[in-house]
Amino acid sequence: MSSAIRMFAKKLAVQIVFAGVLLLAWEAIVKVGGVPPYLVPPPTSVFAAFVDMATSGILWQSVGLSLYRMAIGYGVSLVLGTVLGILLARSWFVKTTAGSVVLALQSLPSICWLPFALLWVGIDERAILAVVVLGATFAIAVATENAIRNVPPIYLKVGQVLGAKGFVFARDILFFAALPEWLGGMKLGWSFAWRSLMAAELIRKDSLGMGRLLEIGRSFNDVPMMLAAILVIIVVGVTVDWGVFGTIETKVRRLYGLQK
Amino acid sequence: MTLEVDNVSRTYLGIRRNGTQQVAALGPLSLTIPSREFFAVLGPSGCGKSTLLNVIAGFEKPDTGRVTLDGKPIMSPGPDRAVVFQEPGLMPWLTVRENVEYGLKLRGIKAHERRERAMHFLKMVHLSKYAEARPHELSGGMRQRVAIARALALEPRVLLMDEPFSALDAQTRDLLHDELQRIWIETHVTVVFVTHNINEAVYLADRILLMTAPPGRIKRLVRVPFARPRQKTSSDLSIFATMLQKEIKEEVDKVASREFDPDWTPATRSEVLVDPAAEI
Repeated sequence: MSSAIRMFAKKLAVQIVFAGVLLLAWEAIVKVGGVPPYLVPPPTSVFAAFVDMATSGILWQSVGLSLYRMAIGYGVSLVLGTVLGILLARSWFVKTTAGSVVLALQSLPSICWLPFALLWVGIDERAILAVVVLGATFAIAVATENAIRNVPPIYLKVGQVLGAKGFVFARDILFFAALPEWLGGMKLGWSFAWRSLMAAELIRKDSLGMGRLLEIGRSFNDVPMMLAAILVIIVVGVTVDWGVFGTIETKVRRLYGLQK
Repeated sequence: MTLEVDNVSRTYLGIRRNGTQQVAALGPLSLTIPSREFFAVLGPSGCGKSTLLNVIAGFEKPDTGRVTLDGKPIMSPGPDRAVVFQEPGLMPWLTVRENVEYGLKLRGIKAHERRERAMHFLKMVHLSKYAEARPHELSGGMRQRVAIARALALEPRVLLMDEPFSALDAQTRDLLHDELQRIWIETHVTVVFVTHNINEAVYLADRILLMTAPPGRIKRLVRVPFARPRQKTSSDLSIFATMLQKEIKEEVDKVASREFDPDWTPATRSEVLVDPAAEI
């Protein structure tokens, strides 16, 4: 067994033991320490609540619906944010006029728009998607702009010498030179969209979603269900953040030699 | 084929304490560089030697005059005037071979032909076994070799080199000097080579342009009278370089006296190599 694999196995073993000890301690404190289970339920009842949600189907419907909303909302903001970012980087006029507006909106948590949505259209699907789009678009725009601005000027010169102009330069050189930083912006945009969606789903009463599971649990004083919902939200978030974006980013950075 | 630099000058907007003003950086300067010549441009820092190269490459427009290649005025950068920069500027998302091939691809050369041509020039710089590697897997000297192969693959009419070895360590630089001499003997490509390294210029060039302190003009055009292949260690080359050293120093001192405090004076050096009073 190579030492790298041994190191990995050791790390994994330590982490599993740590998680096990944590769960046991939690269970023991609740059972022995006399904490009322309706405030802090033991892990066994959280697991039972999880199984209930999974067997009734409410869990999968919620995960599916939330991911569907993310796909639509995030997809729209990826396109909008990228186009806006390119314009900010390349057009003096857009930068001068819209530049400070974008920066201002980027610093505003998009959930602040929810009361407006309530007033204008009511809390329906449109409002949820609008909050998601507003949450991610400006972050992606700012990151895209920076990614383009930070492309080393040597590539422009090299491109000119080799004969890459205009669209060909943008497609073959600018895009790839900006890619690592742009991916970072996409990841950031995703996490903004994710936070916005969870908040928006908490408020919408007539539809499912992972945020809504939490709210359903609260309305029935079902703390195990709330904790189970939190864990599901964490697992889905980590899977996309690290599993999808992290993997792509690492692959690209390794290819470019930016990371071992 | 000749490269003609005709009355070229260039000024910059400089920022001074009392506001901005136009600062003359280069020329006016006229030159004719014949085909197949290795032409070195040598001068103190800030004398406009890189500006001259940028004007020839088409990155910058001269304020007066023009540069023509075969009588055609240069308007913009292009593959007929390939440039090797101080940094290799390789594209990290492409393999070494794809980097060399990219310029050929843009010209519409077919895949198998451009692969052949890329491999030919990678062999010339002794890196064919790294063809499928990524640039980050190569050392600084190897990357600069790839940059040279990429420039040569364009089969340019002039190869422009802007201090191509100044970011490398001394041993790697020596190695690349030998390589460049060999490549030049093989290809006889016209080279304009900008440097502040006298030995480099004497070792490699047919002719050397010594530039004055800014605004850079012709101080002297020197023909290097040695046959190739030259020996780096040859004493003829050293004596020749020492001769040029004195002329360059005058210009370097001029630049320094403008930049430093008024109490600065150039260091005086003994003209006598061996102190006659010393016991031998």
